[in-house]
Amino acid sequence: MENILSVRNLSTYFYMDEGVVAAVDDVSFDLSPKEVLGIVGETGSGKSVTVKSIMRLIKHPGKIVSGQIIYKGQDIMRFDEKEMYRIRGKEISMVFQDPMTSLNPLYTIGDQLMETIIQHQKVSKEEAYKRAVEMLGMVQIPEPEKRMKSYPFEFSGGMRQRVVIAIALSCNPSILIADEPTTALDVTIQAQILDLMKDLQQRLGTAMIFITHDLGVIASMAHRIIVMYGGKQIEVGSSDDVFYNPAHPYTHMLLRSIPRIDRKIDRLEPIPGQPPRMIDIPKVCPFLPRCPRNVDECNQKIPDMIEISQGHFVRCFNPVGGGN
Amino acid sequence: MTEILLSVKNLKKYFPVKQGFLIKRTVAEIKAVDDVSFDIEKGKTFALVGESGCGKTTVARTVLKLTNPTEGQIFFENTDISKFGYSELLPFRRKMQIVFQDPMSSLNPRMTIGQIVTEPMIFHKVARTKQEAYDRAKSLMEMVGLKAFHLDRYPHQFSGGQRQRIAIARAIAIEPEFLILDEPTSSLDVSVQAQIINLFLDFQERFRFSYLFISHNLGLVRFISHTVGIMYLGKIVELGETDEVFEEPLHPYSMALLSATPIPDPKVERSRQRIILKGGVPSPISRPSGCFFNPRCPYKMEICEKVYPEFRKVSENRWVACHLVK
Repeated sequence: MENILSVRNLSTYFYMDEGVVAAVDDVSFDLSPKEVLGIVGETGSGKSVTVKSIMRLIKHPGKIVSGQIIYKGQDIMRFDEKEMYRIRGKEISMVFQDPMTSLNPLYTIGDQLMETIIQHQKVSKEEAYKRAVEMLGMVQIPEPEKRMKSYPFEFSGGMRQRVVIAIALSCNPSILIADEPTTALDVTIQAQILDLMKDLQQRLGTAMIFITHDLGVIASMAHRIIVMYGGKQIEVGSSDDVFYNPAHPYTHMLLRSIPRIDRKIDRLEPIPGQPPRMIDIPKVCPFLPRCPRNVDECNQKIPDMIEISQGHFVRCFNPVGGGN
Repeated sequence: MTEILLSVKNLKKYFPVKQGFLIKRTVAEIKAVDDVSFDIEKGKTFALVGESGCGKTTVARTVLKLTNPTEGQIFFENTDISKFGYSELLPFRRKMQIVFQDPMSSLNPRMTIGQIVTEPMIFHKVARTKQEAYDRAKSLMEMVGLKAFHLDRYPHQFSGGQRQRIAIARAIAIEPEFLILDEPTSSLDVSVQAQIINLFLDFQERFRFSYLFISHNLGLVRFISHTVGIMYLGKIVELGETDEVFEEPLHPYSMALLSATPIPDPKVERSRQRIILKGGVPSPISRPSGCFFNPRCPYKMEICEKVYPEFRKVSENRWVACHLVK
C-alpha cells in the first residue's frame, strides 16, 4: 500500500547557550493509510519534537536541520508558512496533552470548532454550525447543541479532550497526530478517550501517530511501534515484534522494569543509570552508558538501523537474541 | 501475631467552602476524607489508590498531622496522636517521614545536599554534632546509590531520579519506622521508576519500614503493596490483601479501575473486554445521594440511590462497601 506519510532523515536540533541538543536525530519512518503508529519513549527522547517537526511547529532556538517529510507524494518540508496553513488542521491535525492549554478560554466551544471548519472548508456559517454540532455528537458529548455555547472551563478534563478531538477531526484530516492525549487524565477517563479514539480511527479510517510514554497505552492502541531514546529511533516493528521479541537492549530491559496489574512479580529489573543529558552528546549510541550488552564497536560509531526480520528494525551492534 | 504500627479509625477531614465578600460564611463542606479506617502492619506496605481528588493525599497529610483531622483517631504504636499538639508530637514526628511526588519542590534549592540531609538529624538530635551528622549523611548517600561528594552540590545539579534519592536519604536519615510515599515515582521516567521502587523494597527488608504508598499507578501498587484500599470521593470502597483484590475485585468501582488500566501486552489488550464507565467523578461538594458511585455504576440497583452501603467485612481479609456484595 502507498504510504501516506514518509519521514526521511529528519533531524531537529536546539541551539542552546550550553550547547547543541540533538532532540531528533536522523529519524525516518513511513505511515500507511488507516495505520496507528505508536511512538514510545521517555521524557526528552524526541517523540514530541518529531511530530512538531512534521507540523513545522519548531521555534527558535530549535531548527529542523535536515530531512524530508513526504505527504501524499509532496515534500511539505519545502512548503512556506502559507502553504503549511492548508496542511495543518486540514490534512494533518494534532491533539495535544493538555486540553486546557489547547483550547482558548475566551471563546465558546462552538466558536472554536466553527473557526477551524470555516478556515479550511468553503462552507457557510450555517453549514459550519451544523457540522460542528455533528462533530460534538460524534465524540459523544451529551446535548451537543446546548454545549456549543459553553466555554472550556465549563467542561471536565475528559470532556475538553473530546472537544479537542472533535476540532482535530472536523476537517476530515488524513492523519491525526495525538501527543500524549490521555496523560493528564484519570485512568477511567483515559479508558473512555482511548475507546473513543480507537472507534473513530476505525470508522473514519484516519491514519494516526500516537505518542505516549505509557507502554500499556501503546499496547492497546498501536499497530506498529517506534521506540525512541536520546533523540534516535532505536527499534521499529509491529506491536507484537516490539513487545514479544524486543531486539534493542533498552526495549528489552524497559519491558522487564515495569510492573503490571495482572501478574504478581517478585522483583523489577531496573535499568541502571540515568537517561542521557542531551547536550553535546557524543556520536555513539545514546544508550551505551547504561547498556550491559555493549561491544567495542559501540564506542566508535552509531549503529545503522538493520532489518532483523520482516519490518522489524533495530539500531544496535549486539541486539538481544542476536537479531532473531 | 501481627504487630499493628499505625491504625486509623473513622478518620474525617472536612474543608469548609467559604463565600461572601467581607463576612465569609461557610456555605458547604468538602468531605475530602470521610470515615476512613485502616491498619498498617509493622514492616508491611498499605497502598491507597484512587483517581485525583479522591482524598488519598489528604489521608496522608492528616495521618502525619500536617493538617488536623476533623474527627477520628490515629493510633501510632497504640498512642492516639490525633489530638496531640506540637511538643507532644515531636517524638512521633521522628518516627514518621514522607517522600513527596515532586523532588524539585520538596528540596530547598538554596541548601546543599549535605545541609538537606543533615538538618533533620540535628533537629531531632539523632546526631549529636554536625560532624557526626555529616558522616552519617555520607553513608546515607551510598545507601541510596549516590556518592559522598554529592553532598556539596545543590538540588538543581541532579536529575529527577537522583533528586528523589536525595529526598529518600533525608527521610530515612532519622531512622523512622513509618514512611508515607506520596506518588514517589510519578514524576520520574519509567526506566528510573524501577530503581526507586527497588530501593524502597530493599529498605523495607533491611529496616522493617512500614509504608503508606499512595499512587494512581495500579501496576506499581500491585507490585509493592501487601494490602490495598481503593478510594472514591473520600471513602474507602474496598480494602483487602493486594493480590486478592487485584485478582477478584468485588466493588464495581475497583473492577472498573482495574479494567481501565492498560496492560503492556498487546495480545492481552486485544482480547480484553473493558468496562467503560459513563461520565466523570462527581464534584466532592455535591456528592450523589446513596452510594457515591451509583451514577456511573453498571450494576446500579434501586437501593443504591438511597442508602450509602455499609463498609462490611465480607471475608477473612476483605471489606467492601457495596449493596451487591453479599
